[in-house]
Amino acid sequence: MNIQPPNSSSIKSRFAVKFVQAMKRLSKRRGMGDRYKRYRATRAAARVSLAAAVGPERAWSRAVLRRIKKRRGLIGRTTTNPRRNLRGLVPGGKGMDYCSLLSETAHYITCLQAQVQVMQDMLHLSSP
Amino acid sequence: MEKEGNASNLFSSSSDLNCRLFRPNWENSVDQNDPFESALSSMVSSPTASHNNNGDNIVLRELIGRLGSICNSGEISPFNNNSANTSCYSTPLNSPPNLNLMRESGSNQFLSLPTFSPDPAFPERAARFSCFANTNFGGLSEIPPKLDPTKIPPPSVQENWESIPAPEKNFMASRSSTPDNAADSRENSTVSEQIPIPENGANPRKRKSAPKGKGKDTAVANVSASENSESSGKRSKSEEEKANQKASKDNSKLPEPPKDYIHVRARRGQATDAHSLAERVRREKISERMKVLQDLVPGCNKVTGKAVMLDEIINYVQSLQRQVEFLSMKLTTVNPRMDFNMEALMSKDMFQSRGSMYPSDGYPFQSPCGNEAPFPPSHGRNQRPQMENFADAASQVSSFWEDDLHSIVQMGFGQGQMQNFQGILPTSQMKVEL
Repeated sequence: MNIQPPNSSSIKSRFAVKFVQAMKRLSKRRGMGDRYKRYRATRAAARVSLAAAVGPERAWSRAVLRRIKKRRGLIGRTTTNPRRNLRGLVPGGKGMDYCSLLSETAHYITCLQAQVQVMQDMLHLSSP
Repeated sequence: MEKEGNASNLFSSSSDLNCRLFRPNWENSVDQNDPFESALSSMVSSPTASHNNNGDNIVLRELIGRLGSICNSGEISPFNNNSANTSCYSTPLNSPPNLNLMRESGSNQFLSLPTFSPDPAFPERAARFSCFANTNFGGLSEIPPKLDPTKIPPPSVQENWESIPAPEKNFMASRSSTPDNAADSRENSTVSEQIPIPENGANPRKRKSAPKGKGKDTAVANVSASENSESSGKRSKSEEEKANQKASKDNSKLPEPPKDYIHVRARRGQATDAHSLAERVRREKISERMKVLQDLVPGCNKVTGKAVMLDEIINYVQSLQRQVEFLSMKLTTVNPRMDFNMEALMSKDMFQSRGSMYPSDGYPFQSPCGNEAPFPPSHGRNQRPQMENFADAASQVSSFWEDDLHSIVQMGFGQGQMQNFQGILPTSQMKVEL
């Protein structure tokens, strides 16, 4: 039942590609100045890029992608919103049984770590 | 009790039969066993099985079946088919031929037929029939068939049991003590049986719940370990249920399995077996995942217990998410300078793990060429037609950045997630040509 642990480097590369492209597109948009909106868009882009990089093989990435397709409140999600509950933190965690929630959490943590590394690298590269 | 009488009658009457059957033929194969089996069945059926007997028979069959599975997998079925559960009781205590028969023939029937102690001890045990059925008999039925041929057991049962080779020796030792403990309380006999039960003793669980999936070995190990640690045979059912309910989310894992396993045996419940087995499997899965998480989350090695671990995990996930937010906030301010980020990023990732990335070393991405301007627009242009179709369809409804989000998804799925990096290659070659 346990799927393979994520390959960090492949996820990193995929996420990096998508995220950079998203950021470029974002920067080209005229509608946003240096505003809170851009920040939220960047945050959302980061989340979506990670989920897209992971693909549909994981429940949490599927949940994120589903939310985009439904055009729900993906942007409005903040980290302070979810309560002190693992189900509230991991995307799609509400409808899962406990066992799969734990495995999804493990995969999600790995992906988050990869994401943080990539974004840190981007920061360091862009402003040396 | 009528059972005593029946048992003793059976014993006395069958002993002759056994002598006749076994002594000349105890080296032979299954064929010899059948007449004996039928004889036993006839003997067994004659003492009318009372309701108590039936219930106990069911339990005995259950226990015997479970424990008989130590040796072979196909043991239970013949045993059950025979409906000769009571034949266990009637099995005469000619231990050497019986055990040898079991050994040589490997037949299921005789595997599950326990041998009783010699006459003086038997009525005493029969007197303890009720607990015997639940506990001692279970211990008796644990007689494994695979006896060392070289070790011919001496006539007395205790010695027979003790002579059985190593894995079953524990069983035997316990069983030899059970006649002595026949007079003891039920709990004690339960304890004496269960303490030395090796992992094989939990094999019936493994067998029964084979379809239930992985993690069974650990479940079995935990069960045996838990048995060893548990000393009380009587637990309240509500207590176990509470423990099971609690097990899912938090609190310690160790106390629950012992209660669970001991409780199952004491309660002689078959249906609850499946439930408790499922619970055990589930708990094992949960603990596996928790271990994986423990490795992932830094600083969790010292933490023990599910609740604290969960808190740590939650904290870590929240901190990671906050970190992503913070980094994205920072990135929005440095956004304009992201053109040359791609190759540097890729090189960073490639340095970290060579094997998984695209193997070509002379790849233009690594070239110091910083002119990546052609690359993203060309790439974007390739994708833009598709994206625009989608965007046009959706732009009326959603806010503008959601189009971007959709395009992120579209892009990935268009190229294929695994080939995302390779999809960029042709475009970068274009860049080189340019």
